[in-house]
Amino acid sequence: MRKLILITMIAMVLAFALVGVASANGGPHGGYTATTDACAGCHRAHTASGAKLLVAADTTALCFTCHGSNATGSVLNVTDGVLEATAGSNAGTALNGGGFGFYNGSATTSSHDTSGAATDAWGNGGGRGVASALAGGASLTCASCHDPHGSSNYRILKTTVNNTTIAVAQVDEGAQTYDSEQWGTGQSNICAACHNDYHITAAGSGSDVAGLAATGGTAHRIGMPWNGDAGTAAYIGMGTANPETSGFGGYTLPLAETGTNDTVECQTCHLPHGTSSAMTGFAASNGSVAGDSVLLRLNNRGVCEVCHQK
Amino acid sequence: MTNQTPEKDLNQVETNPTEQTDPPSLQDLQEEIQAEDNKKRRLLLLLLLLLLLLLACVCGLFYRYLQKPAPLPEMVPLPVEINYPPHYLFSIYGIDQPVGVALSPGQERLYVAESGGERAVKIFDRDGALIGSFLPPRTTPGQRSPVYLDTNQAGRVFVTDRLQHAIFIYDADGIYLDSILGPDLSLSEYVAKHVGTIEPDVTYAYNLFEQDVYFKKGEEQELNFPAPDHESWSPLGIFIDRTGRMLLTDVAKEKNSIRQLPADVTMAVNWQEFNPPTDTFGTFGQGNGQFLFPNAAVPDSQGRVYVTDGNNGRISVLDSQEGFLFHFGQGSGDGALSLPRGATIDEQDRLYVVDAVGQDIKTYDVSGEDPAFLFAFGEWGLDDGQFNYPNDIVTDSTGRLYIADRENNRIQVWSY
Repeated sequence: MRKLILITMIAMVLAFALVGVASANGGPHGGYTATTDACAGCHRAHTASGAKLLVAADTTALCFTCHGSNATGSVLNVTDGVLEATAGSNAGTALNGGGFGFYNGSATTSSHDTSGAATDAWGNGGGRGVASALAGGASLTCASCHDPHGSSNYRILKTTVNNTTIAVAQVDEGAQTYDSEQWGTGQSNICAACHNDYHITAAGSGSDVAGLAATGGTAHRIGMPWNGDAGTAAYIGMGTANPETSGFGGYTLPLAETGTNDTVECQTCHLPHGTSSAMTGFAASNGSVAGDSVLLRLNNRGVCEVCHQK
Repeated sequence: MTNQTPEKDLNQVETNPTEQTDPPSLQDLQEEIQAEDNKKRRLLLLLLLLLLLLLACVCGLFYRYLQKPAPLPEMVPLPVEINYPPHYLFSIYGIDQPVGVALSPGQERLYVAESGGERAVKIFDRDGALIGSFLPPRTTPGQRSPVYLDTNQAGRVFVTDRLQHAIFIYDADGIYLDSILGPDLSLSEYVAKHVGTIEPDVTYAYNLFEQDVYFKKGEEQELNFPAPDHESWSPLGIFIDRTGRMLLTDVAKEKNSIRQLPADVTMAVNWQEFNPPTDTFGTFGQGNGQFLFPNAAVPDSQGRVYVTDGNNGRISVLDSQEGFLFHFGQGSGDGALSLPRGATIDEQDRLYVVDAVGQDIKTYDVSGEDPAFLFAFGEWGLDDGQFNYPNDIVTDSTGRLYIADRENNRIQVWSY
């Protein structure tokens, strides 16, 4: 009996000793030291309630405790897709990743489901137009794409997603401008980890290339300069205005490696968190995802027009 | 036993020899019995009186409880330290991700700010029955984000809005009255500059997303004015004391601070002349007197202000004379905080801090010179008495605690 009491007391002492503070630098996403006390902000060594020793079962709810609609602990509100205004102005700006619930003040018409429900990903090895389970039957949460402990990638994106190693560079590592992109090379790699069948980078893939027939025909090329490789047929029909700096019809789209290669990435046209774009025409009733705005940045097929300027 | 009996008898014979030789008379015996009976009667009478006194005390306490319900230890001041956690009473449902709670001055109404669904402020009675709800005018759910709220002695409700960067003012029933757009500007003041005197039959609103001020007088055509220019801020935590003084936490990007606005602001009949002096304290950071997303600022009976310094995982204590005094709650061990958010102090100077990630309520005695950790209650879970990212708390004078249990979509009511 005495042994039991002793063990219980030791366990209690350890449990209390492991309860500590959340943040070292305004957020728990790095800045740890060898004797950091930041771990217990999210984890419990012996009294955890969720997977990975988290304090609660719902990972996304943990993230939303700071980054949710009230943004009570961050300037980044991913529910509404808003970046807190810089000092001197009250109006926030649209978050470059979009919002899960709202974007530009309107309800999202499509978004990644981070609720933790079992998730299939389109183009995840089964071909384009086919949704397949993630590796190991994993569900999608914020932590599927972001590493809350920080990473060497852009926007603390994970270095391994869906069993795929990811490298996503950032032009300026010190940049904190979440409303304007800082994309370097490989920005699409994060999307390709789950949607690899859509990650077509072959020159000329926009034309009827026989080599692509096995994967369902031609596909828009990704990772190429917006105005094409000189002389390739794939870029016939392009407009002359840079879609990022000039745009078309009042709309612009972000490009990677701005000012040097100006490449088109997945995120040039799609908002990874979610979008409020409206699908009112053909897209509203077409295909297996009728009415789904498929994370597109602009209404209907506005993203096509910004580059192709028809 | 058999060996002791003769000895005892022998002793009795030796010590009381006269009893056997000189027996008491009948009269003596009767007097003795009478005296014994009288003694018993007196004892019974005394007992009866004590019982009656006790009954009177119980009736008195019961009557007092009916007049002003409160836990027994608080009604009967005992000369011992009361140090035990409250117990779970019941929950109020029909709320979408509540983040802020406040009571009306008479404590008969509970106001709850939602962060999900319609993002409305809902009104409940003490038993949890829904009375109504209200919203900032001309906003959609994605354009508003009510967080914390409080009431003044007149019953007006002041609600901070994270997306609109404003404090919306309503009457007790949720009728919109005005907005404080910045530390130096109210909406009615801005509108009055354009239209002159604001008459009773006008409506006006400002939506930060639309960057347009809307004004309408009676049946006349709607007017629009350009977005007002004012000092930027981002009000979050709000507390209004009985005198009307307002304490705010401001989480403007990299300019986190605590603001104090005078009672004139909350007790004003209207806000058409709005330029109150504001005491501002603190900067953005981790040092003493610095804050990282302060969520609540509440005063104790000594006049000290306790700030839940969210991302620094601590409580900072301020004084109106000396400014920053000290902080506590960082580190490990009893009373250590993970992510402090809403807070309240009861009439016994017990500070209750909602630890959103710790999934509990940590309680400190702040009546003395140094805060002392008393106890924590709650744990993560979905059952009664368990929390799933709680965010705010308010207490009433009867010992009830109302806690916004965000991810469980309910208000938990606890009591002593």
